[in-house]
Amino acid sequence: MQRRSPGLTALIYGGVLFWVVLASLPILWTAVISFRQYVDAFSAPIRWLAPFTTENYSRLWIEREFYRNFLNTAVVTVFTVTISLTVGCLAGYGLSRYRGALGFWLLLVALVFRAIPHSSLLPSFFTIFDALGIRNTYFTLIFVLVAINQPFTIWMLRSFFVNIPQELDEAALVDGCTRFQAFRRVIIPVMWPGVVTTGLFSFLLAYNDFLLSSALTNAEKMTMPAAIANAINAESEALLMQGVAGAVSITIPLVILIVIFQKQIVGGLTQGAVKG
Amino acid sequence: MKTRSFVQFVGPSVVLMILLLAAPLLTTLFLSVRNCTLDMEVVTVEESTPFGKKETVTQRARLDASGRAIQTCRFVGFEYYRKVLGYDPDPSPPAVAQAPGADAAAGPGAPLNEFQGALRFTLLYTFVTLPFVLGIGLLLALGVNAVSVRLRSVFISASLFPFIITPVVAALSIKWLFRDNGLVPQLLSNFGVQVYWMGQAWSAQFLIIVYGIWHVVPFAFIVFYAGLQSVPQDALEAATIDGASRWQRLRYVTLPHLMPLLVFVTLIHVMDAYRVFEPVIVLTQGAFTTSVQYLTYYILLQENNPYKASAAAVLTLVGILILLIPLLVRTWREQRGGA
Repeated sequence: MQRRSPGLTALIYGGVLFWVVLASLPILWTAVISFRQYVDAFSAPIRWLAPFTTENYSRLWIEREFYRNFLNTAVVTVFTVTISLTVGCLAGYGLSRYRGALGFWLLLVALVFRAIPHSSLLPSFFTIFDALGIRNTYFTLIFVLVAINQPFTIWMLRSFFVNIPQELDEAALVDGCTRFQAFRRVIIPVMWPGVVTTGLFSFLLAYNDFLLSSALTNAEKMTMPAAIANAINAESEALLMQGVAGAVSITIPLVILIVIFQKQIVGGLTQGAVKG
Repeated sequence: MKTRSFVQFVGPSVVLMILLLAAPLLTTLFLSVRNCTLDMEVVTVEESTPFGKKETVTQRARLDASGRAIQTCRFVGFEYYRKVLGYDPDPSPPAVAQAPGADAAAGPGAPLNEFQGALRFTLLYTFVTLPFVLGIGLLLALGVNAVSVRLRSVFISASLFPFIITPVVAALSIKWLFRDNGLVPQLLSNFGVQVYWMGQAWSAQFLIIVYGIWHVVPFAFIVFYAGLQSVPQDALEAATIDGASRWQRLRYVTLPHLMPLLVFVTLIHVMDAYRVFEPVIVLTQGAFTTSVQYLTYYILLQENNPYKASAAAVLTLVGILILLIPLLVRTWREQRGGA
C-alpha cells in the first residue's frame, strides 16, 4: 500500500471531525441554553458564558409534571417492545423456516405496509376508535405502535433466524420436540443477539414516535415527544425554555442507549430492512 | 415447515396487521367517498336578560334516545378528491350544516391546490436530499475507514446521533439554533448576513432539507462503512501492483463493490423521505410548506374533517405505491431467484 500524504491525512481527520461537530451541535447547544434564563439563551450578541440555572428543569418536571409524560413513555415503550418482540419472533421464525409461496407474499405485503405514511391510517383510526370508545387509552396506542412496527420487526427477525442453521431445530424435532418446543428451547437461546438488536429498534420507533402519540392521546396520557409539541408554538418565554429543557430530557436516555448498544445498533442498521 | 404450523407461527402477527393496518386502509378508502353531517334542527332559545326576554334562533344537533348526535351519511363519490386536488367544479360551498364533515376551509381564500403543493415539496425534499445523503455518507464512510482503529468507535457513536435522536426534538433544536437571536443568525450577522430563517418559504424549506440531510447521513454512512469492511483486499492489492492510483482503486474496485448498498440506501431513503413530517410541523407549521403526510394530519386535526383527510390519505398512498414499484419488482426478482 502507498503511504498517505500528510495533507490527505489532515483532510480526512478534519472532515470527520467537522461532521462530528455538525452532528452534535444542535443538541449540544440546546443542552447549554437549557441551563440558562431566556434572556441569556437568546441574546444579542451571543453569550458564551452565562449564569447557570436549573429553573427550566424544575419548572418542567415539577410544576408542569413532566414526570407523568416520562411514565407514559415508559409504559408505552415497555409494552410495545415486549409485545412486538413476542409476536415478531414467532412470525420471523415461521417465515425463516417455511418454503411455500404464502411466506413470500406475506413478506411482500409487509414491505408495502412498512412504506405507508402513518398519517394515512389516522382518519380511520379516529373514526373506528371513536365509535368503539377506545381512543385515548394506553392499550390502543400500544397496539397501534406494535402493528406499525410489525412489518419491520418480522423482516429483521426473519433475517436473523435465516442465519441459524436448520439442522439445529431439525435435531430437536427428531428428538421428539414439537415445533413450538424446538423454537422455545433450542432457537430462542441462540437468538438473543438478534432479539436485542430488533428490540432496540422497536424501542426507538416507539420512543421517538410523535405523530401517532400526539394524535391518539390527550394531554394526561401523552408521551414525552407528544407533550413537547407545546414548545413548537410557545408564545411565552418561560414555556419555550421549558421546551428546551424537555428536549434535553428526552435525549439523555438516547445518549445512554448509544453508548451502551453502539455495536448492536450498527449491526442492526446493516442488517437490511431497518429504519423506521 | 408445514403450512399448518407456519400459519400458527405467523398468526398473531398477521391478525395484528390485518386489524390495525389493512382494515384501517380499507376504511380510509370507504371514508374518502363519503360525507357525514350532523342532523341539525332549528330551535328558538328564549333568554331572560335584564332588558327583557330575548329570542334567538339557533341550530343544534338532533340527539337520539341515548343522547348521541344523529348523523346522516351519504355517498359523495370523488367530491373530496376534487377538493383536495383543487379541481372543484362547484365553488359555492354545499349548503349542509356544520361539523363533523363540514368544510371549515371551503370558503374563499382556502388553498385550492393543497395536494399538489404538498406533493411538490415532498418530492423536492426527497430528491434534493438523496444525492447529499449518498455523497456525504460515502465520503464519511471512506474517511472513518481511514482513521486509526482506536478512534473509529468514538466517531461512529457521535455520527449516529442525528439518526437516533427523536425527530421532533431534533427539528426543535435546529429551530432554536436558527431562531431570531439564536446561535446561527448571530454568527452570520458578524458577516453581515441577515435572514429570518422561519420567515419565508425558501429559507424554511432550506432548513427542512438541511434537517433531512443531517438526519439521514448517519444511516447511509453506517451502511457504506459496513460495506467497506468487505471490499476484497486482494483486488485492491492487485490494482495497486498494476499501478492504479488511489482514485482509480476507489472508482474501479471499491465503488462497484458498494453499488448494491447504494441502491439499498436510495430505496429506503425514498420510502422514508416521502413520509417527512416532523420538520414540516416544527419548522413552518405548514405556513409556507406542507408535505403529503402533514396535509392529512392537518385536515384531520385542524379542519376536523375525516372524509377529506381520507381522500388526501388515499392520494398519498397512491403516490407511495408508484414510488415503490421498482422496489417491489426488485424484491420479487430476488426472492424468486433466491428461493
